[in-house]
Amino acid sequence: MAGELTLEDLSKMAARAGLKLAEDELQKLLPGVNRALRQAEELRQLIADGTEPASTFSALKVE
Amino acid sequence: MTADDLSYLTISEAAAGLRRKEFSPLELTQACLARIEAINGKLHSFITLTVELALRQAEQAEEELRSGNDRGPLHGIPIALKDLYMTKGIRTTCHSAVLEHWIPDHDATAVAKLQEAGTILLGKLGMHEFAFGGPSVDAPFPAVRNPWNTAHIPGGSSSGSGAALAAGLCYGALGSDTGGSIRTPSSHCGIVGIKPTYGRVSRRGVVPLSWSLDHAGPMARSVEDCAILLQAIAGYDPKDAASANVTVPDFRAGLKDGIKGLRVGVPRANWFNENKGTDPETEAVFDNALNTLESLGAVIVEIDGKPFSIARKANQTILVCEAYAYHEKTLQATPMKFGSSVRRRMLEGAFLSAADYITAQRVRSVLNEQIRANFSRVDVFASPSAPRPPEAFQGMDPNEQNLRPNFTNPFNLTGLPAISVPCGFTPGNLPAGLQIVAQPFEEATCFRVAYAYEQATEWHKRRPPI
Repeated sequence: MAGELTLEDLSKMAARAGLKLAEDELQKLLPGVNRALRQAEELRQLIADGTEPASTFSALKVE
Repeated sequence: MTADDLSYLTISEAAAGLRRKEFSPLELTQACLARIEAINGKLHSFITLTVELALRQAEQAEEELRSGNDRGPLHGIPIALKDLYMTKGIRTTCHSAVLEHWIPDHDATAVAKLQEAGTILLGKLGMHEFAFGGPSVDAPFPAVRNPWNTAHIPGGSSSGSGAALAAGLCYGALGSDTGGSIRTPSSHCGIVGIKPTYGRVSRRGVVPLSWSLDHAGPMARSVEDCAILLQAIAGYDPKDAASANVTVPDFRAGLKDGIKGLRVGVPRANWFNENKGTDPETEAVFDNALNTLESLGAVIVEIDGKPFSIARKANQTILVCEAYAYHEKTLQATPMKFGSSVRRRMLEGAFLSAADYITAQRVRSVLNEQIRANFSRVDVFASPSAPRPPEAFQGMDPNEQNLRPNFTNPFNLTGLPAISVPCGFTPGNLPAGLQIVAQPFEEATCFRVAYAYEQATEWHKRRPPI
């Protein structure tokens, strides 16, 4: 991820996601979103190429 | 026996008393209802009371026991449910304005199993809204308070379950745990709670927070009581995609087998001192608990805490993505119906990518392998259940939890069974919990270790000054 999101970035992304949030709400949301994005970026450093995700699909299991 | 003594019986004591005819299910129920009437206004642990149902079920249990139709140790025992367990015909709010008036048309599998076991339902318990965020200060129901000091939080998200048990308002309760929501309130309220192995207890009918991290489980005032409750709700459920078709053992069979020679792994290095670190008083209480385990014959082995420390990041990423996916339509249509704490946490998931989510699930694979590899050297892990005593409501910092080690997250990520048992009090007279973690589907080992510790100490016998 290149740098942190700005309020303007967040506003555009929220609109694209179908979220109608007031500017003061976006302002309060911004630090948490940037922390979550930083955290996601840190996780990328921890995996090797061949690692599969923990969630799996079983063709045998039918609900 | 005083009314207070009756309210503070354990399930196993109450079950024995019922069979000796020292009191009846109706008297147990009335004792709970009277205490709820007297105390709930200070604690706000119940959202909905089911008085008529409880009295009807009590009369039925009384009749059945009298006629020899004994359904087992939970027959005639009053319990309560975290308000995210669906209850047919009974309001299920998740402590939220979003579901303030929702009445489900079926029971959660765990609820149905407790009914089959003959329990008496007293009502539905407060929680953190949708089991996420912090105490719900702007929800339609007041935040639950800690019976040991009502100025302090009871821990969450199963806050009502922890508070009600500590205050003697019910004999057992169900909670749910996605990142620590059974173990944290158990620790903060001085009671016992177990997050079973992922797949051990059906999640069907438990309103989801995060499908791949959610666990349903029991909370009670003793280790044996937790074992009794888990016995009733465990088992394969074909209607839950994550349910495991594995044998359910007798969880009480090995309770008294002791822990001589048991290897207890303590992942202290690179974890307990993360960021602001573990509160020194809490760590001192934990170290005393380790000394007790050692005196009972356990061998303490220090192990590397690094993978445990990383787990929080993967857990949080998966959690916010799955929580947002579940609540997306409501967050788009009526975001302000959610309280501010849970809304802002869930909305983080809207801004993470699919690759972020899958990366976290890949890290989960890596950490699962690294953490479980320790079981070649140790039999169980031990840690404090919470990194610090319960905070005061006033001046509470919602970011504080990110600045301390999170002792519960790794075991949602890995699905390992983990129990919290009372292990002392900090100088402010607030409870602390000892967490014991075992291998998959080895809840019996959690119970055996916790029981040995519990029986060697007196912490579980203290009552809050409410």
